[in-house]
Amino acid sequence: MITLYRPGSGWLHRAPAGPKALGILVVVLAISLLPTSWWTAGIATTVTVLAYLVSGLGLGELGRQLLLIRWIITITVAGQLLFLDVESAVSNTSRIVAAILLAALLVLSTRVADLLDAFERVLQPLGRFGVDPSRIALMLAVAINTVPVLARLATSVREAQRARGAGSNLVTFVVPFLVVSLKHADELGEALTARGVR
Amino acid sequence: MIGDIDQSSAIRLDGVTARLGDTVALDDVTLHLDDARIAVIGANGSGKSTFARLVGGLTRATLGSVQVHGVDAAKDTATLRRLVSIVFSNPDAQIVMPTVAEDVAFSLRGTKASKADIAAQVADALDEFGLTALADRSAYELSGGQKQLLALCGAVIRRPALLIADEPTAYLDARNSAAVADHLLHPEAGHQLLLVTHDLELAARCDTALLFDGGRVVAQGAPDDVIAAYRASLRA
Repeated sequence: MITLYRPGSGWLHRAPAGPKALGILVVVLAISLLPTSWWTAGIATTVTVLAYLVSGLGLGELGRQLLLIRWIITITVAGQLLFLDVESAVSNTSRIVAAILLAALLVLSTRVADLLDAFERVLQPLGRFGVDPSRIALMLAVAINTVPVLARLATSVREAQRARGAGSNLVTFVVPFLVVSLKHADELGEALTARGVR
Repeated sequence: MIGDIDQSSAIRLDGVTARLGDTVALDDVTLHLDDARIAVIGANGSGKSTFARLVGGLTRATLGSVQVHGVDAAKDTATLRRLVSIVFSNPDAQIVMPTVAEDVAFSLRGTKASKADIAAQVADALDEFGLTALADRSAYELSGGQKQLLALCGAVIRRPALLIADEPTAYLDARNSAAVADHLLHPEAGHQLLLVTHDLELAARCDTALLFDGGRVVAQGAPDDVIAAYRASLRA
């Protein structure tokens, strides 16, 4: 489920979305630019652990996030160990994992609506060039929310096929999945229209 | 009067024909509807959903005119969208934002209301629909009934003059269906209701009913009489 927001009242939750996003971006960039060494792995890990602790989200949430990206960690480490030494592989992976986990702090502590408001404000100057910030923000919201819906639709299609005795076959899965996805897109479009979206 | 709605200009269709591809979905329909709660019944493919979509501005008439509370559905769709809210049968397709409170607040995006005002309106609406405890929950993790209540909440918070509900209880069990129906059919709802339904018990609770068949209105009047006509047509 992609709803990452965790209700809370800590300082990170209370911080305005725009400055918070900028602050996290700066920290992520700083970690990314550190040289490849064991020190970098240590710094990236320490900063991430501290960030989760001081934000009030805690080590439990950090563990949950690590579990969610376990395959990214596995593939990143394994892929790099094929071509690089252990120190480089661990250092690079630590930077990537720290960047993902720190970026997650933003969505864990900020409601999507507040993120969209901040995004709209940032895009406001583009209005004079014909860009409609509210439409772009809406597109992002719909994109974020469509991921779990598509996952559920995919599960439904697979279950329906299994119920009729069909095995795992990509070709027989893709066509019905596309059909139900397009039907969902149609229905969502009408629902948006009905809720006053132009 | 229905709340603050001017009944002299409710739903008016004059000589409306709607073609969907080669199919005539509505065939020369003329209707003037001023009742507060209108049930629309009929078999699948009878034209009742097309009728609701025309009134809601989602489909255009091929011939004739559709007026909703004085607004021409073909000429002023922006005003029509402000006047009308629609609830569909599939609650999953109506969720736009990740959490319950955010999804309800989404309906007020683009209004002139301040953040504090929107938050207050959302809190009131969630309370009215019994969703306060679920405000920060993922909208996708709700039960079917809760999702439909959320969709209804998101529709009603816009304070529409007309609420269209197209088979809103189709996906729900009896208990959830009753909860949604109680909100929909509340006598002091403050808006006109156009309820498209296969649930004849719901239709019976409305003030008037229409029976569609083959794209035409074949019966109109007191719900009990129209339902009796529908049952008779099923036996024929």
